[in-house]
Amino acid sequence: MAAARSITLKAVSTSLWSPNRSLPKAKTVRALSTIMSPPSKAVVYEHHGPPDSVTRMIELSPVEVKENQVCVKMLAAPINPSDINRIEGVYPVRPPVPAVGGYEGVGEVYSVGSAVKGLSPGDLVIPSPLSSGTWQTYVVKDHDTWHKISKDSPIEYAATITVNPLTALRMLEDFTTLTAGESIVQNGATSIVGQCVIQLARYRGIHSINIIRDRAGSDTVKEKLKALGADEVFTESQLEVKNVKSLLSNIPGPALGLNCVGGNSASLVLKFLRQGGTMVTYGGMSKKPITVPTSSFIFKDLSLKGFWLQKWLTADRTKECREMIDYLLRLAQEGKLKYEMELVPFGEFHTALDKALGKHGSQPKQVIKF
Amino acid sequence: MAMARSIALKAVSTGLWSLNQSRSLSLPKPQTVRALSTTMSPPSKAVVYEHHGPPDSVTRMVELSPVEVKENQVCVKMLAAPINPSDINRIEGVYPVRPQVPAVGGYEGVGEVYSVGSAVKGLSPGDLVIPSPPSSGTWQTYVVKDHDTWHKISKDSPIEYAATITVNPLTALRMLEDFTTLRAGDSIVQNGATSIVGQCVIQLARYRGIHSINIIRDRARSDEVKEKLKALGADEVFTESQLEVKNVKSLLSNIPEPALGLNCVGGNAASLVLKFLSQEGTMVTYGGMSKKPITVPTSPFIFKDLSLRGFWLQKWLGADKAKECRDMVDYLLRLAQEGKLKYEMELVPFDNFHSALDKALGKHGSQPKQVIKF
Repeated sequence: MAAARSITLKAVSTSLWSPNRSLPKAKTVRALSTIMSPPSKAVVYEHHGPPDSVTRMIELSPVEVKENQVCVKMLAAPINPSDINRIEGVYPVRPPVPAVGGYEGVGEVYSVGSAVKGLSPGDLVIPSPLSSGTWQTYVVKDHDTWHKISKDSPIEYAATITVNPLTALRMLEDFTTLTAGESIVQNGATSIVGQCVIQLARYRGIHSINIIRDRAGSDTVKEKLKALGADEVFTESQLEVKNVKSLLSNIPGPALGLNCVGGNSASLVLKFLRQGGTMVTYGGMSKKPITVPTSSFIFKDLSLKGFWLQKWLTADRTKECREMIDYLLRLAQEGKLKYEMELVPFGEFHTALDKALGKHGSQPKQVIKF
Repeated sequence: MAMARSIALKAVSTGLWSLNQSRSLSLPKPQTVRALSTTMSPPSKAVVYEHHGPPDSVTRMVELSPVEVKENQVCVKMLAAPINPSDINRIEGVYPVRPQVPAVGGYEGVGEVYSVGSAVKGLSPGDLVIPSPPSSGTWQTYVVKDHDTWHKISKDSPIEYAATITVNPLTALRMLEDFTTLRAGDSIVQNGATSIVGQCVIQLARYRGIHSINIIRDRARSDEVKEKLKALGADEVFTESQLEVKNVKSLLSNIPEPALGLNCVGGNAASLVLKFLSQEGTMVTYGGMSKKPITVPTSPFIFKDLSLRGFWLQKWLGADKAKECRDMVDYLLRLAQEGKLKYEMELVPFDNFHSALDKALGKHGSQPKQVIKF
């Protein structure tokens, strides 16, 4: 992971930052060539803990935009589960506190340092590879953090393309060779990753078997997922049968399973897998562990693995990452990749955070608009 | 898996086998006179079961009538055969691949060629043989099977090792090879360390300069057990209760974190193996003695990049591996003969089969591997 230089945090010192949202002190006059960013309204946290208590919105002082840096005016950024985990302190790789939250987003170049080539004010950019500190109005980072994307890119998709759709794409590629006509099974199907998996699989002629939580309005949810291309959608209670595979109409047993829930939901993925299948765990929304009977390993020859995008991105994959993003953004622009989002003004950040924390049941992905 | 022709079971029909005398030997009816060239086996004293269930209730010792030894077959006088956990599972009916009932128990062993069919070449009476790949029906005094079931082994082979070489030591060898590339100085971690597989893993690893971290159940006299395992070459031996610490890896003196873990227990013992594993490590499950499932939190998959796999010798053998199997068996037997591979066994006369079975079923706490002597 390219380390995000925490330039913005230099401003987050006690003297310049008052928890009461006071105005920054005037800076001493600098040399004419120094470029300063505007002040930045930001969601910060000074220590780890429950995000709804430790985060606050404050104004950060302008920071210098050095010759190799770019100042970006943020347009949109999502609240992802991993953002929440970073604030809670349960993510093993996280920025040191105090920190600005957020890890992906989209913005417009505001100003560039004197040595920067290839980026100009007005360019639409996303941080690629990922980089922390996107929940603020102005971000200053090294020029090579920013990837210029097409001006036609739909903003809310550009804001959310780098974490979840990329995870979906990699998981369909890196574990099992899948050919048209084959199947995959997944839980957490209503998540962004889940919705992308359905569509990216369908695009390649691969069937998807989808498991969702029991909930009010589950029939509507099933219809939505089928409209995206899901072959089968089951609620967990529908799967309380002796042989789940008997419920499959005429699609083959899946060789690949994707799990982001854990607990019973993960067991259901394992039950669908055919001999020699692989289950990939990329999340744990229920916070429950995965339980596997011995026989699944010995007689069914199942493999259990994990996927972590941040780890995949470390191996000097910047170029590959950007190519995948361009590909996914193009699909989104062409309407071939879509998922539900709710755009929320930055001023209502804490309402969006409550929804992202699950306080109001199932909600679409919360995307902050700056 | 070479299919064992259930010739021996032809005799197990109601007419020839008395059901009311569970451990007595009823005499077989005389056979009609056959053509001079027909070779018949002697009658065979066998442990059979007619339906699946708890082995201590469904197995009984009976005498089976002589069977014909066809021209491509070989009759072997069994010398020794073990009681393995998978034998028990087959009788219980919980093993997915098992001979049809009624069946003779047992799946490996060693014997001496008694007689050969007229078309058989390469095997002669007196040769020491084992079924390779392993084959069902070894808990009896005379076994008749196709000649290509039998692998001739060196006459110097120690009998009790030949009887037990094909299932457990082979599993140990394959697991050290097939999942992770291990080099001298690397480590592995395992539970069930006192099992035959466990003891073989310690020694085969040591032979290659690989360290072993071993987890055993809490039990009376666990210190003695630790000493025994260390004498075999174990680097570290911990009881499960010793591992109730926040960071198990802090207990490792100066051996690296293991990249490979082996699990035959399940439950907490499996969780402990996972805790020792290094980043990107693999845990291989080959048994489930506690009958508890394996429970893994989400984070080891995502942040530790662990892989969980399984190993089943029968499946490995199914992929046309007869020759490779025999080469490995010869290698392992040579190590045993040279004293470089050893494990504890208790030899029990066939007549005491049910005492041995009780021990193998765990009714008397931890016991050495029970090996029946015929």
